[in-house]
Amino acid sequence: MEQLEIQQTASTPLVSFDDSGKTLRIVGESYPENSFAFYTPVLAWLGRYLQQHAQLTVDITVTYMNSSSIKCMLDLLDALEEAFKKGSNVAIIWRHDLENPRSFELAEEFCEEVTFPFDIVALSA
Amino acid sequence: MDLYNLREQFAESGMMMCFNGPFSHSIIEEIGTALRNHLAAENIGKAAVLDVFAVYIELAQNVRNYLSLRELGQGEASSSIITIARWGDGYAVSSGNTILKEDSALICRRIAEINALTPEELKRQYKEQMRREVQPDALGAGLGLLEIAKRSSSAMVCSVRDINDKHTFFSLAAFI
Repeated sequence: MEQLEIQQTASTPLVSFDDSGKTLRIVGESYPENSFAFYTPVLAWLGRYLQQHAQLTVDITVTYMNSSSIKCMLDLLDALEEAFKKGSNVAIIWRHDLENPRSFELAEEFCEEVTFPFDIVALSA
Repeated sequence: MDLYNLREQFAESGMMMCFNGPFSHSIIEEIGTALRNHLAAENIGKAAVLDVFAVYIELAQNVRNYLSLRELGQGEASSSIITIARWGDGYAVSSGNTILKEDSALICRRIAEINALTPEELKRQYKEQMRREVQPDALGAGLGLLEIAKRSSSAMVCSVRDINDKHTFFSLAAFI
């Protein structure tokens, strides 16, 4: 499986796949100039991965997402949901700062959209 | 130009930050960072800082996307304004930019529609819009104004002023 490694910038998150833990990490903030251009390769990678593998944890620590990134994240959730319905073992861990209720609220909204395991974990300061 | 007068006017209106000119993504990013640092020093909650920042990002990116979509991104028409000011116990974030005259009624109607939504309706519309297919040439997800409304403490205010027979100057203010 090809690697996926996108470095973090001020307006785009780190996106990194760890093969040993079958974990896709997304860390940082997301308000790219063009969210669709940023997430298209991520979604393409995810599509190929989920066709070949039946296990993936997406580990997310994102403090802020602009509205078009939220839309892209929903596409990512949909791809995971589809794989889950076909029997794959997929899950999301969403880590949020205790002092940042907005990240928690966003996680809750995403959680309502899916049926696979979605853990919302508070990060201790 | 007497910048002292401009500065006095800014001070009177509670202006904290203002940018006027054509803005690029990197300028949006830089002002955003400065804004957050500034607000963090004001001793307000993290959620409030993020709400002001989020409204600023949506407004600024909306302007940029619109100018690019309507091919107004070059020359005089590309010059836009974004301001962040104190407003009562909260903040006002405003944007001003050139739009095509023919778009004016539609944009103002959309803002009036969003202003009229109850919080429950807003949440429902937001979810519907999230689920709506994005057109291949779209620059955003059509969620920006709804995102601003979600984070606002009162209705958005927009105003328009004709520049010439083709262009209108559009101002939009949101209050957090």
